[in-house]
Amino acid sequence: MKNKSLWVIVAIAAIVFGLTFTAMAEEGVTDTEIHIGQWGPQTGPAAPWGAVARGTDAYFKMLNAEGGIHGRKLVHHYFDDGYNPAKTKAGVKQLQEDIGMFAWVSGVGTAPGLAVKDYLMKRKIPWLSPSTGSTHWVDPPQKYLFTIYPMYSGDAQVLVRYAVEEMGKKHVAIVYQNDDYGKAGLVGARKQMTKEGMKLAVELPLNLADKDMKPYIMALRKAKADTVLMFVTPGHVARLIGTGKAMKFDPQWMTTTTCADVPLMMYITKGLYAGTIMASFGMMDPAKVGIGNVEDVNHPTLPLMKKYKKDAFGKYAAKDERWGLTFCAGIAYAEPFVEGLRRAGRNLTRERLVKAMEGIQNFQGIMGKVNYKPFNPNSPLCRLGQREVFLAQATKDAKYKVLTDWIQTDYINYK
Amino acid sequence: MVDFLQMILSGIAVGSSYALMGLGMVLIYKASEVPNFVQGEMALLPVFVAYLLLESYGLPSYIAFPATLIFAMLLGCFLEFAILRRAKEPNVLGLIIITIGLEMMLIGIVSWKFGADQRAMPFPISSYDSIVIGDIFISTLDMLTLVAALIIMLILFLFFRYSKIGVAMKATQQNETAARLMGIKTNRLRMVTWGISSVVGCVAGLLVAPVLVEPYMMWDPMLKGFAGAVVGGMTSLPGAVFGAYIVGIVEQLFGGYVSIEFKSVVAFVVIVLVLCIRPSGLFARHYVKKV
Repeated sequence: MKNKSLWVIVAIAAIVFGLTFTAMAEEGVTDTEIHIGQWGPQTGPAAPWGAVARGTDAYFKMLNAEGGIHGRKLVHHYFDDGYNPAKTKAGVKQLQEDIGMFAWVSGVGTAPGLAVKDYLMKRKIPWLSPSTGSTHWVDPPQKYLFTIYPMYSGDAQVLVRYAVEEMGKKHVAIVYQNDDYGKAGLVGARKQMTKEGMKLAVELPLNLADKDMKPYIMALRKAKADTVLMFVTPGHVARLIGTGKAMKFDPQWMTTTTCADVPLMMYITKGLYAGTIMASFGMMDPAKVGIGNVEDVNHPTLPLMKKYKKDAFGKYAAKDERWGLTFCAGIAYAEPFVEGLRRAGRNLTRERLVKAMEGIQNFQGIMGKVNYKPFNPNSPLCRLGQREVFLAQATKDAKYKVLTDWIQTDYINYK
Repeated sequence: MVDFLQMILSGIAVGSSYALMGLGMVLIYKASEVPNFVQGEMALLPVFVAYLLLESYGLPSYIAFPATLIFAMLLGCFLEFAILRRAKEPNVLGLIIITIGLEMMLIGIVSWKFGADQRAMPFPISSYDSIVIGDIFISTLDMLTLVAALIIMLILFLFFRYSKIGVAMKATQQNETAARLMGIKTNRLRMVTWGISSVVGCVAGLLVAPVLVEPYMMWDPMLKGFAGAVVGGMTSLPGAVFGAYIVGIVEQLFGGYVSIEFKSVVAFVVIVLVLCIRPSGLFARHYVKKV
């Protein structure tokens, strides 16, 4: 009888403590799995950026095949939001509340990201490396939000400075997407033009639904623009340059990191992208001209890039997937997060992950060096992992020529 | 003055693709009395078929394009025969929902089969060459679209005026019961109307495609074509064309002189204004309330 009672007590204790341990475990983390969420457009106007999420997915599968992180598999849940903030919000809430994500990684698009930022931050859910360079992520800085993408405003600064100071251009104009992404570029361009003692020749907002670029080309021609910055989608870059060609308008076209996948851009513009100058943050081939320290995505020489091409892309990408800048970016955005998971150790909690991320200094994967600092609510730089970009120019053979070394961009608070 | 003329010409050029879509919508509205929101995707799927024939099978365009038009004809007939006709005691709202459902389905098929990547369509003429008249430019592709729109309008006019099937279609549209009593196979004619409408839309799609092929490429032309058709009166073929050109020109003038930011929504402002002033559209001869 005594023995029986003892067993009952032991069983009850086991259940109670078991439940307690379960209740204490971090959301999205089990003994064998870490659940990670991501959104990205697989359809719609921003679909060319869909390869970001597919790159991350292949990267996680590669890591799982190698044993995962501290014995746990990375379970990647990504969904198509069509670059539509309403869908982003619905998808994030559904995954978070139905399954429970430990953290979110990447996420294409400023407007989609803004739709869920407050939701994630209020719940203290880490979000690492938004795939967009908006000031909103770091100003004010958020304890659970770490960025890696250089600010679009910085891209615009560097492009304008190059156009005016190196190329002697006098009439710089901008066509910008009429949302936070485009407006960040506008602010950077305006600021740099003021520094140069000039004004933008014309500022043209463009809505995603706009397909007819003739009025834009007419306005640019009227303003006598000799340089045009394009902070729009790849499809709109193709339409702008193409319509410009048809209307005999041939300025120096410039664009930002989001449209820097040269083989893709050359294909959709039927070669008209050649000559376009773009800001970029990694994965090109400067070796031929001896500038910088980045890698040619199509001819990898770095062991890490070679490994990704062979083990992530080669084994886990879909049959018709293209190994390109956008796919690699999906890997690159997740690298600091994986480093943070490694540093956080087996006893994984969100607080431990944040602490580990804050300790990352001079970390380099296949992009530039990444640095974070302990959280300081007054310093956006504590969460801005990377601020360097360089300029390159597309060449006719769908390659690129690097024009500058890494350039540190200024942080601009434009809100 | 040069700018003004350029805007008018650009408006006519843009309006031509809207006009083709508008024509397709009016054809179906007259036959089935439903605003056909699957019109854009009835063009989209054939465009991707053309892309497949040209890129994957390497067929020359003089084979690929006619084959695509035949596919479009069959697709239109199939949708009417297999889906629309099966709707039991349909009201207008039910039919609209069916066309929206079909739209989602076709765009899903395209995205699933071809992926969402943007593509460049091989085309016999460059979409980036242009014809210069003084200081005014029109791209060769826009010129081709304009000519194609005019030819199709002429063909449709002749078809409805002089061909036996065309006259039978008109009879069916005017009084279906009477037409059936006269021995006209009205169901079959409605199916053929859907096929013809699909072909007209497909021509618009093939002329939009050389710039960029992507799953959502037909949304804008379809919505603007619909706007043009509403402005013209929904039951008038010349009205749809006229309305589409009005929409195209107003868009360009608004973008040039008022606000480039709100250029793409001005078409819908035009719809509201026209419907407030003349509810049956500019070209509808009379407004009949059906009981």
